[in-house]
Amino acid sequence: MDVTTAPHRIPAEMPQYGESNHIFELMQNMLEQLLIHQPEDPISFMIQHLDRNNDNVPKIVILGPPASGKTTIAMWLCKHLNSNLLSVENLVIREFPSLTAETRKHYQKTKTVPSTLLVRLIKERLAQEDCIKRGWILDGIPETREQALMIQTQGVIPRHVVMLSALDTVLIERNLGKRVDPQTGEIYHTTFDWPPESDIQNRLVVPAGISEMETARKLLEYHRNIVRIIPSYPKILKVISADQPCVDVFYQALTYVQTHHRSNAPFTPKVLLCGPTGSGKSLQAALLAQKYGLVNVCCGQLLKEAVADKTQFGELIWPFFEKEMAVPDSLVVKVLSQRLDQQDSIQKGWVLHGFPRDLDQAHMLSSMGYDPNRVFFLNVPFDSIVERLTLRRIDPVTGERYHLLYKPPPTMEIQARLLQHPKDSEEQVKLKVDLFYRNSADLEQFYRQAVTLNGDQDPYTVFEYVESGIINPLPKKIP
Amino acid sequence: MASVLTDRTSRAVNTYTYTSRPRALPCQRRRYRDNFLQEEEPMRYGNIMYDRRVIRGNTYALQTGQLPGQPDPLELQRQQQAKRRALARKRAQEQLRPRTPEPLEGRKHVDVQTELYLEEIADRMVEVDVECQTDAFLDRPSTPLFIPAKTGKDVDTEILEGELFDFDLEVKPMLEVLVGKTIEQSLLEVMEEEELANLQAMQYAYEEIRNIELAEVQRLEEQERRHREEKERRKQQQWEMVNKHKETSQKIAARVFAQRYLADLLPSVFSSLRDSGYFYDPIERDIEMGFLPWLMDEVEKTMEYSMVGRTVLDMLIREVVEKRLSMYENKENKHQSLRPKDEHGGPGAMRDPPVGYGFQKQSLSHTQKPLLDRDDQRMSYDGGPSQERKYMEEGELLGQSEETAIRKSLGKEEL
Repeated sequence: MDVTTAPHRIPAEMPQYGESNHIFELMQNMLEQLLIHQPEDPISFMIQHLDRNNDNVPKIVILGPPASGKTTIAMWLCKHLNSNLLSVENLVIREFPSLTAETRKHYQKTKTVPSTLLVRLIKERLAQEDCIKRGWILDGIPETREQALMIQTQGVIPRHVVMLSALDTVLIERNLGKRVDPQTGEIYHTTFDWPPESDIQNRLVVPAGISEMETARKLLEYHRNIVRIIPSYPKILKVISADQPCVDVFYQALTYVQTHHRSNAPFTPKVLLCGPTGSGKSLQAALLAQKYGLVNVCCGQLLKEAVADKTQFGELIWPFFEKEMAVPDSLVVKVLSQRLDQQDSIQKGWVLHGFPRDLDQAHMLSSMGYDPNRVFFLNVPFDSIVERLTLRRIDPVTGERYHLLYKPPPTMEIQARLLQHPKDSEEQVKLKVDLFYRNSADLEQFYRQAVTLNGDQDPYTVFEYVESGIINPLPKKIP
Repeated sequence: MASVLTDRTSRAVNTYTYTSRPRALPCQRRRYRDNFLQEEEPMRYGNIMYDRRVIRGNTYALQTGQLPGQPDPLELQRQQQAKRRALARKRAQEQLRPRTPEPLEGRKHVDVQTELYLEEIADRMVEVDVECQTDAFLDRPSTPLFIPAKTGKDVDTEILEGELFDFDLEVKPMLEVLVGKTIEQSLLEVMEEEELANLQAMQYAYEEIRNIELAEVQRLEEQERRHREEKERRKQQQWEMVNKHKETSQKIAARVFAQRYLADLLPSVFSSLRDSGYFYDPIERDIEMGFLPWLMDEVEKTMEYSMVGRTVLDMLIREVVEKRLSMYENKENKHQSLRPKDEHGGPGAMRDPPVGYGFQKQSLSHTQKPLLDRDDQRMSYDGGPSQERKYMEEGELLGQSEETAIRKSLGKEEL
């Protein structure tokens, strides 16, 4: 057996490294660029691409009917993300001297340029240094399917496409209030977005072409075209209603453009579920383990198993169990690391619950190298917890577990003989919940990328949230 | 001021005499307090060259002025006047000087000595005379033999009997001691030498042994060092090997991991490029970009034609109905003026086709604008009149013929 084919023990740092540095996405981007440009010297091209390191720059297209606020949103996004804005206007104005007289006249009359010219201008502009370094935002381009296809053929691939939509009536009305500042080019509105400074107010000019007829005509044209543009961007399109205040639209757009899309990178989930007792952690963990084949690691369970199996650790833990004292952290960590080092948990991933209960334990966990890549905090109000836990009963004869509200026993006879676990009494529950909340603030600060979920819902709903949290890439927090 | 009298001629050759006028010795030391006898003559000595009494210059010319030794008469006078004045001043001062007041009546001032020791004040000076004389007639005796005075002290001793010692007896013990000491010393020295020689020999022997031992030690050390170096080298080798092994296994693991990790890379790249539209189905694209627009244009054109046809038909129908109406109206006015109406109708009828033609031309030109250029070429104005003729036929026969005509025109276009 050759060394390269023997079963290998891959150290756990490697998948972690790959995941944290988004190696798969990096390679994917590089390969895409290679395929698009097909250079003669692939190696130096790849080196150049990696040097540029512009995988995460914004590449956004904003589409929308006239008077939906595209330009405003585009300009705000530009400022916020420090990127470059490209629209028909500023592309043409940049190249104005080099255009032929005919095109110039045509532009001045109709404010449009032929598609081939536009695509050529776009390509030239995107090849410039600042667009490469800081990304680009296309405002209102492509206008027709033809342009969209031409742009795509050139290899210009946006990562996010935002489409603003609103009812035509709203748009027509809104367009009547449009005002433009001739100096800065910013667009204001008489009702929705009035500039505070009076000197800007005095400067504002009514732009041409905002009468109802004009707007209606433009809307017609837009609707004709947009229907055919949408299928060109199937997975990256997001429709945002433009019928809300500007700021809301902007924030929705901003959140969207800052999310990564799902990638095909191989991903072993290492999930940490945190929450007070009774928030449903064990249930969610069990569901996850069942559906995705993850290893369900419940800390308390692990310790009990160790004691029951009378392993070396079990011998050490047993006295603490006898005296009903909390097992010391070092011991717990040792047992955990033994479990998490096993091959199946490395390969399949794990879901941990019940372990770090405070900041020191969390530090210990990360220092051992077991950093979870998804952390969920389940928030459940105290009353729900009490309801869930204090109504738990067990039938001593059959061993069935019942809940007086959610899974009541079928017959009165069974109900008569049900018993309650002493740990499920209200005082005990209150103690445990208080203990958790004392440490939860520290934990939340430690795990910055944690997702907080409302645990007060139906378990399958919560499970869906957890699933989407695991499968979708982690959101980037707005700085 | 010493004047050496040259009395040498009168006396014997070797005699030296010296006489001088008696004077008080010029001692600088003050003997008494406030010695008032200071105004002696200062020692007058000077350089003759600068002496004013010596006349310089030419001695044959008349000397004006006084000799330097003698005072000038003017000067003299002045001096005398000054003297007189000084005297007068002195007298005046003396008079002014506070004196003891005159004695009172009947009294007399008496001088009293107030010093510690009284002094007899007498006019008579104490004089002492001393004389000496030499006999004139005696010969000078011969000089006595000069016997210098005895200086120094004479000391003498007396040796009594038994005070002198016997040298031989006395010397013996000393000699013994001396000789003995010498011999002892020499013996000691010899012994020392022997001892030194012994020591030397021992040291030599010791050194030999030491050298041998050192050599042994060095050899052992060398051996030790060689062993150690060998061990180190072997350890290093082993360590390198282990390292390399580890590295290789890491590299293999990394390669396997990378392979596994990027196993899905190519398909995902291709699918993403396909999704973003870079990879497209060329046939589909061709159909979309090439065929469908043309098709849509043609359909549009055809629909335009049908629209136009319908419009023209409408117009024709209206014309016909109007004409009929006018004819009907004319029927009533037939008895009045048929001819003029006929003429009216004639030119009017004549006018219709051109009017209709003009209208059709307009509508055609309307429809032609959005069509593509090649359709322009095909839609020549030759086709126009033939179509017009067809439409004219339609105008005659309503309903079905219209449709057949349309179909015919369509067929013509599809060619």
